[in-house]
Order: sequence, then structure tokens, then C-alpha cells
Amino acid sequence: MATITTIDPVTRLEGHLKIEVKVDTVNGVQQVVDAWATGTLFRGFEKILEGRAPEDAEHITQRICGVCPVAHGLSAVLALENAYKLTIPNNALVMRNLVNAANFIQSHILHFYHLAAPDFINGPAMPPWQPSWNIDRRLDANTTATLVNHYVQAIDMTRQAHQLGALFGGRMPAPPAYVAGGFACDVTAARIAAAKTLLATLTPFITNVYLPDVAALAGAYGPAGSGRDWSKIGRGYGNLLAYGVFDLNAAGTTKLLKRGRVVNGATTVATVNLAAIKEQVTNSWYQDSTNGLGPAAGQTVPQYPKANAYSWLKAPRLARLPYEAGALARMWVNGDYRQGISVLDRHAARAAETLKIATAARTWLDQLVVGGPVWNSYSPPAAATGVGLTEAPRGAIGHWVATSGGKISRYQIITPTCWNASPRDTVGKRGPIEQALIGTPVTDINQPTEVVRVIHSFDPCLSCAVHVMHAEEGAKIFRLGHYHTADEAAAGHDHDHDEHGHSHDEAHDHVH
Amino acid sequence: MSITRRDFLKYCSISAAALGLTASDLLHMEQALANPTAPTILWLQGASCTGCSESFLNRFSTTAPTTAADTLINSVNLAYHPNLMSIAGQGAVDVINAAYTQGNYILAVEGGVPTAFGGAACWAYTDNGVDVTFKDAVTRLAGKAAKILAIGTCASFGGIPASGANPAGIQSVKTATGKATINIAGCATHPDWIVWTIVQLLTGKAIPLDSNGRPTGLFSGTVHSRCPRRDLDDGSYGHVGCLESIGCRGPATTAMCPVSQWNNGVNWCIGANVPCLGCTEPTFPGTNAFYRPGSG
Repeated sequence: MATITTIDPVTRLEGHLKIEVKVDTVNGVQQVVDAWATGTLFRGFEKILEGRAPEDAEHITQRICGVCPVAHGLSAVLALENAYKLTIPNNALVMRNLVNAANFIQSHILHFYHLAAPDFINGPAMPPWQPSWNIDRRLDANTTATLVNHYVQAIDMTRQAHQLGALFGGRMPAPPAYVAGGFACDVTAARIAAAKTLLATLTPFITNVYLPDVAALAGAYGPAGSGRDWSKIGRGYGNLLAYGVFDLNAAGTTKLLKRGRVVNGATTVATVNLAAIKEQVTNSWYQDSTNGLGPAAGQTVPQYPKANAYSWLKAPRLARLPYEAGALARMWVNGDYRQGISVLDRHAARAAETLKIATAARTWLDQLVVGGPVWNSYSPPAAATGVGLTEAPRGAIGHWVATSGGKISRYQIITPTCWNASPRDTVGKRGPIEQALIGTPVTDINQPTEVVRVIHSFDPCLSCAVHVMHAEEGAKIFRLGHYHTADEAAAGHDHDHDEHGHSHDEAHDHVH
Repeated sequence: MSITRRDFLKYCSISAAALGLTASDLLHMEQALANPTAPTILWLQGASCTGCSESFLNRFSTTAPTTAADTLINSVNLAYHPNLMSIAGQGAVDVINAAYTQGNYILAVEGGVPTAFGGAACWAYTDNGVDVTFKDAVTRLAGKAAKILAIGTCASFGGIPASGANPAGIQSVKTATGKATINIAGCATHPDWIVWTIVQLLTGKAIPLDSNGRPTGLFSGTVHSRCPRRDLDDGSYGHVGCLESIGCRGPATTAMCPVSQWNNGVNWCIGANVPCLGCTEPTFPGTNAFYRPGSG
């Protein structure tokens, strides 16, 4: 009999997310047969920006996310430069890359050790490791102790990575030095020397600690492991999207990680047609009159409650297809990593990317010119439109701006987690995380460790919850440690299933 | 694991001057830490960006040996933190409920409190089948908290998400709960300021507050009054100098950034030639432009 489980809150991720998971036994294996992802926080940044000075967007949007603020700041200034047709000095290009690199290094290390690794190990008998679930632990005591000690060491590494970013950005998180026309910070020999010292600590950690730890995890949980092969779990659609990042020339035509997309795990990389990106809101708490708009013409008009809706996230689609964004997408598109698409592959690609970026950052330091220009002044036109595309650590990010009378008249943002954690679209096609969860084995429905492993592999920038709010007739409702009959559960609920328009009776379309 | 309470005390000893601690304070803290009933901290996130948590981690790994962050987490019993704790789901909510039953915990709130759509703009968790809005969760937990820390400007005053049209109807923690809060303002706030406040609580010191609920031990004097650039000629992007002519809010902003600096003291906003945004003020971000090009 199918059951629905709730995990609320899902911890160790950023922002506000809830996911409903329907679990059933298929071919003798208890597994996820359906899933619904819900963004549970609405702040309305796009409305907040309307009427403000266009230059303010850099500072305001960095406060969307304290984990990937740099990507927002960079997208904002790129959008304005695209609108105003500005160029920037090379020093600015390099400092932008360095601060963004610092954010990537910080975020990737934090993600592996502090957000994801606890899904695989039982740590010491103290917070934050305990209390904990205890499912499918395969690492021996020595390896576990090593990972716990590296957890502690990694906090110091993330601190040093932030320090690297602050040298040029002013402070981390939310470095204020990204400005349209260039960068605010002046280049000094002392900053360059300090940055070299930090990279001389960070890069060996990535090489000698982070990469081997990811390999150790893959050894125990991959094809050679003693249980299920996690290189075969959590694949999803296999559609991968990257806007590209780390411009290597002023025009942005050459990047360390290039722009492109692939469909269903192909090795042929296609171009990204921005005009084909549309945001669907049929299952989101926004007015249906705004459905299917491109972000350049997008609108954010909340409507709650709304029949059939279950998320504050819109559902972005490119030529009607959902796409996964993130390190694996970037590395696949760039040709650096194509071993597979799975939970383990996302961790491996992220670690490999960290080293690639840290190595490049060291060479960028040699391109800075002490005392050289960092900013070009400009006179803004009264009205303009522009788009800024780059990558956050967790995937493709875009800002679309329109100005009128010297103020922001429209602002639209599509974050990577909006791609990854999007709800179903107008034709009912699941979002990438929803799809990746299908077929995930669940050993103990009261400790759905496997479910959060899949979620964490995407490094979602959301932090609330995976709920179950709905009683299904005749089904047991599991609430992590609490069993109810459907009637008992329904009696205690404000929500019922029909309110969200889900039909748990629909045919299961399993992906194995 | 090498993290012990002794390490934490060692860290505090090393940092005693920076934290404003006397030998007597350290003794009191040792007693507090030796006491297994030392206050539990519940750290909740509402309309936040997690930036204050990120900033918090930076401080503790900065100073003493690499174990400082975990040391504090363990020593003060940070029982609930959504970004860090291993357990999820009802097991996590049970931690909150156990603390609530006992009472006398420190409630640390990061992010403002959305009230739009009956609170449905932000859900906190599901407790035994009941979906709980963030507003309801914070209001309940505030009722039995020994102290309430508003971590950052959003929790203190609403901040950026509450600006302009305030589409989510965001309120400060004080407004939403009707309870007094200690406002550790800043967007993001500074790790030293969080540490300082917690240490005051552990050592049983009174924390005098200014008219905006901010500790006067941290918030007294404007950025401009202590700015190393106040006597320099006009600066701008890329040029070291006083940034008042391009919109610096330092003269109207109470904060110790010129003294604290950021990220292990390597830089700060003005140090990168960016005007102070005024991020510790109740008026932040306001409607005026952050950057105002000078006439000359």
C-alpha cells in the first residue's frame, strides 16, 4: 500500500523547501513513487526592487541568499551593464572572478562536509551530529572519525575562503564591491599577497582532503560498495543547463566554464536560447494570468490560496523542458566530467570543479595590475533593458532588469534552485528534484535518509521542509515516528489532499 | 573529536580582551559551561537569507584553533539550527518541543516574521501532523524563552524583505511576538557581535540596550566618528578617500565596523571604497539610492 511520508523540516539545506514523498513497494523494493517540491517562503524581492535606483539591485539581491550572494551581485551588475552597454577594466573582471571563486570554494566545501556528509555517517554523541538517523552507514570507524575531523577543519577552510573574498569584496557574505562599470576595490600588492597565502592553504585542502574524502564515499557507496549503488540513484531527467561563469575576456565570450545545455545525458552540447525560457505558474501561488511569460516580460503577482498550486516557486522551463542546474551541469557542458548523473556524480563533479576554480584563481592573481583602473564612470540612459547571466555555486542564475525614468520598472530573477526544485509545470511535468526522487529506495520510512541524500546532492538553496499534509484514503500516514490512520490524520489537519490538486491515484510512472 | 569545553575556554581566554572579559567573567563562564543545564539555544530562520549564520561560522573558525566554531556550538548547547543539525523531520521538531517544555532557553531568530496570507508566506515545520507557520512558531517559543536574540537586521527591524511594498508583510521579532528582543543588527551581522552578546548572557551580565534595542556595548557611536578616512579627501570607486560625497551613510549609522573590521580584520565596506549602506539601522535599506554620485 502506498504511503506518504513527511520530513519537515529537512535540515542541512539553505532556504525554505518542503517535499512530499509517496512511498510504495514495487518489485519487492520499497521506494519513492511520487514527489512534490514546495518552496515555502515568499519574500517578493522582485516587487521590493521596483522603484529603486538600478544600482541598488546589486546590494538588495545579494540578500536573497547569504550562501551565494556573489552570484546575485554579479548577475545584477551584468544585467545593468548589458542594459547600459558598459565595459569594465580588466582589473574589475579579475577581481569579480576572484571573489566569485572564493564564494564557490566556500560553498562547495561547506556543502560536502556540513550539509551532505552527515547523510552518510554517524558523528559523535553531541550536536550537531546527534540526534541523527541511523540508516545505511557503511564507513568504518576510522573513516568516520576522519570525516568528522575534516568537518571541523572544513569550517576553518570555509572561513579562509570567505576571507579571500573579503580581501577584494570588502566583506563576506554580501560583498559590496560589485558595481556596474567595474569594481570598487583598489588593487594593492598587499591584497594580492594575502590572497596567494590563502590559496596556498585552500588548494592543498581541496587536493589532499576534499577530493579523497569524496572518493572514499564513492568507494563505499558506489558500484564496489556493500549495498545499493548510489551512482545509479537520483538521476532524474538528465537535462543539464549551464549559463557559464568566470569570464576570461571583457566580452564574456570565453569562460572558464562555458555556456550550454544537454538533453537526457547527451554528450552533444546545444546552445542556450534565452527566448525559449518561460516561467509556468499553473501549480504555483501566482496569478494564472502571468503563466508562460519569459523573464524579460515576467510578472510576480502572488495569489494564495490558489487551486492546484503547491509552491512559491515558479516552474522555469526551456523549450518546455525542465533542466537541472549546478556543478555537474557546468562540468558536463564544459566536457570536464561526464561519468554519470547521480547522487555520487553530483558530489564528484562539485569537488572536481572546486579544484579547477581554485587553480584558475591562482593564475588570475597574476593578472591584477596594482594601482590600475577598476571602474569606468557612465551616464545611464533614462530607460533600458538588460539581462545578466552567470552561475551560483548551485547553478545557473539570471537577472532581467528594465529601467524607466532612472528607476527599476521591472525585475525578474530565476535562481538555480528555481530550476531544480520547481513544481510541476502546466502540462504536469515534474521539476528536476521531484523527478530525481522517483525510484529512490527507502529502507525505513521513519528515517528516510535516502530521500534527503537525493535532495542534498542538488545543494538546494532552500531550507524549510518536506511535509506531508494529506491523508490518502486507506493509507497509513507516516510522520517520522508517529503512525496515524488516514482518519486520525485527517481529523488533525487543516489541509487535505484535494486542496493541492494532487491525485495520488494517478498511474505511477516509475523511473528505475 | 578534539572539541571540548576546555578548548572553548581557551578560546575565550585568548580572546578575552577583544571580547571585553575580565578574569572574573572567565571564572563565571567556566562555572556556567561546567553546568549541564547551561542555556539551550534554539536558532530559527524565518524570512532570512542565512547570511547571518554564514557570518557567525566565520568568526569562530577565525580565532582559536580550527575547532572554535564547533566548540561554541557544543558548549552552549545549540540544540536546534536548521542548517547544521543532522536530524530532520519530527525528530528535529521534538528537540524544539523538549526545550519548550523545559523553558529557560535562549531563542535566536534569524530573519523577519512574515504575516501575509495568514502567515503562509513562511512555514516553519510540521509538528505531529500540524503545519506551523513561522509566525506561530516564534510566538509560541518566545513565550518561554529566557532571552530572545534578534540575529541581524531582518529579525531586529524587518530589513530588506520588509522594505518597499513589503509584499510578505514582514515584521520584526519584537513586533510579531510582543516580547523584548536583543537586537544584534547588521546585514549580515558581525560574528563578534553575536559572540559578545552570548558571552554576556553566559556570564550573567546585564545588557544595556539603546532605543532601538541594540546593545550599547556594541552599538555606540557612528561609523563616521571612528572612520579612518574621515579626514581624507573625497574618494570614490577605486579611489581611497572619504565617501560621504557619493552617499556614505556612515555619519547616520551606529556600528563599530571601523573597529571590528570584517573577515578576520582583512577589510570592510569602506575599505573596499564602497559607501556604508547603513545596514545596522532600523531605516535600512530605506528608499534612497545607496550610491549617489558626487557633483564634482
